[in-house]
Amino acid sequence: MPGARVVVEHVSRRYGEALVLDDVGFVVEPGELVALSGRSGSGKTTLLQLIGSLDKPTSGTIRVDDIEVEKLHNPAHYRREVVGFVFQLHHLLPSLSAQQNVELPLVAGGIGHAERTRRSHELLDEVGLGDRPKALPSDLSGGERQRVAIARALAGQPRLILADEPTGSLDSTSARNIWELLNSVRQTRGTTVIVASHDPSLAEHSDRALQIADGRLISASEDDESTPARNVA
Amino acid sequence: MTSLLQTLSSIRHRPGRTFLTALGTALGIATIVALLAVGAGAQRSAGQFFHLGASDLGLFQKDAADPTTSVLPQSMIKQLRKTPGIQAATGFVLLVSDVPHNPGVVVFGSTPSNFEVNRMVFSAGHMFSGTHEAVIGNETAKQLHLGVGDRLHVKGHKLKIVGIYHLGVEFQDTGAFIPLRVAQSIAGRQGEVTTIPIELSVKTRPSTIKRLLAKRYPGIAIIADGEESIRLGANGDLVSKAALVIAVLALVIGGIGVMNTELMAVIERRSEFAILSAVGWSGRQIAWRVMIEGIVTTFLGAIIGLLLGVIGAHYLVQILGASEFVTPHITAWALGRALLIGVLIGVLGGLYPAWRAAHVSPARVLAQH
Repeated sequence: MPGARVVVEHVSRRYGEALVLDDVGFVVEPGELVALSGRSGSGKTTLLQLIGSLDKPTSGTIRVDDIEVEKLHNPAHYRREVVGFVFQLHHLLPSLSAQQNVELPLVAGGIGHAERTRRSHELLDEVGLGDRPKALPSDLSGGERQRVAIARALAGQPRLILADEPTGSLDSTSARNIWELLNSVRQTRGTTVIVASHDPSLAEHSDRALQIADGRLISASEDDESTPARNVA
Repeated sequence: MTSLLQTLSSIRHRPGRTFLTALGTALGIATIVALLAVGAGAQRSAGQFFHLGASDLGLFQKDAADPTTSVLPQSMIKQLRKTPGIQAATGFVLLVSDVPHNPGVVVFGSTPSNFEVNRMVFSAGHMFSGTHEAVIGNETAKQLHLGVGDRLHVKGHKLKIVGIYHLGVEFQDTGAFIPLRVAQSIAGRQGEVTTIPIELSVKTRPSTIKRLLAKRYPGIAIIADGEESIRLGANGDLVSKAALVIAVLALVIGGIGVMNTELMAVIERRSEFAILSAVGWSGRQIAWRVMIEGIVTTFLGAIIGLLLGVIGAHYLVQILGASEFVTPHITAWALGRALLIGVLIGVLGGLYPAWRAAHVSPARVLAQH
């Protein structure tokens, strides 16, 4: 399945008096791997949450392919089959095995048992954990948990992966492995990947880097031709 | 199915909370089962008590607190025997708590020959004929280690046991029969009886005679079955009402308890529901998960409660000192009702927590973590 095209236009998000995102706009082309860098509290997570429909913008529009994200009333299907989330703290359910965690989006999607088992095994194989489907999160290392989280994000065969500090709690080796895995997913599946990180070196591994500070998009890498001029320093 | 399995995994993962929730439900259900069993036992016993075995109708004084406090004039018996459709009528005086060391023995004051006592099968001796004689049920003989020739003490009166009978009616087999005049003397009710059992002619319908007698004797209660008898007996009625009140209380308190526990669990597991929401579970699916958890937990509690209730019912009648009168009667319907109440507790207690879980904001919760 080809990656999604993401268009963010004039997006702002306000929590009470605090303006967390201020008139942000950019475009991510299908299959691109974009790094969204900035300090903690700069608005990266909020931006990913808005694109993933975990939250709604105060103003502005977000389109993922032909979906107007901010207008979704019941975003469950969108979260399940269009986007896949990878969080910094993996957020696996502790009572479920690796395989059951991977199956969560498929259960919600009403996929049958046989198909779920097949897909979850394939995905665990893909992330290098094919031999540990029954392992509980507590039995896995930090890097392995994050791999399960990536497999779970891929379960719904999404067109867009949103990864929020996926290597933030990992050692350098595990972080590099996770990064390579995300890159591999992008290359083999053509999935669009947006990765938020406070690590500026992330830009080296991505097609393009967007930098955000105090809720404003302040820069883009040199080869960025598609980023609208708005709010870019 | 997978959702259920995952729910069971989640329950297994939190054994302490699951156990406490289930225990709360179990205690509520056990109380309901015990009271329903005692109530049903009281009803069945009351049915036997009022029917006194072979009678078609039992006459008691209206609004009597219990059968032994009923007072009817003995002269009524003659009038009743003359009534068309009534084949036989007799009078009994019931004495309770008058046998030392075994207050549960019910003593029946009766004539030596009537349609009720004529059914007695004697394993030893014969029916009394003198005023200082008595016959005892085979169960009484066992319990009190008495035999023919021994003395039965009834409120200071010593009566010689001349026979041991079996009637097949629990109250009577665990009781004793003494001459009517002696019983009237002991009770201080000369010329009065407690109850008048009636045997109808073969072709007579009980409802016809009931209507006739109700019109003729407005102050009497006419009992045709156990259901009516439990309504007449204030004590049985009390048990029945207590069971209802406990059932309602169990629903309300159990429901609040389960709601509180589930709500705490939802708050504790907000990140879990936020993750489910983030990976594409709809609010309805999350709510179902919480509901199923609540129902499964309370169902487990209800099963434990059924077992505790069945055991507890036997102890309850002993604690109440009613084991001689009431044998807990556990019916499938009573168990089914208790189980249903358990499931209802799960449903009612899970509604609000389920709603809360369905409305967890993934953005806020995941940002906090």
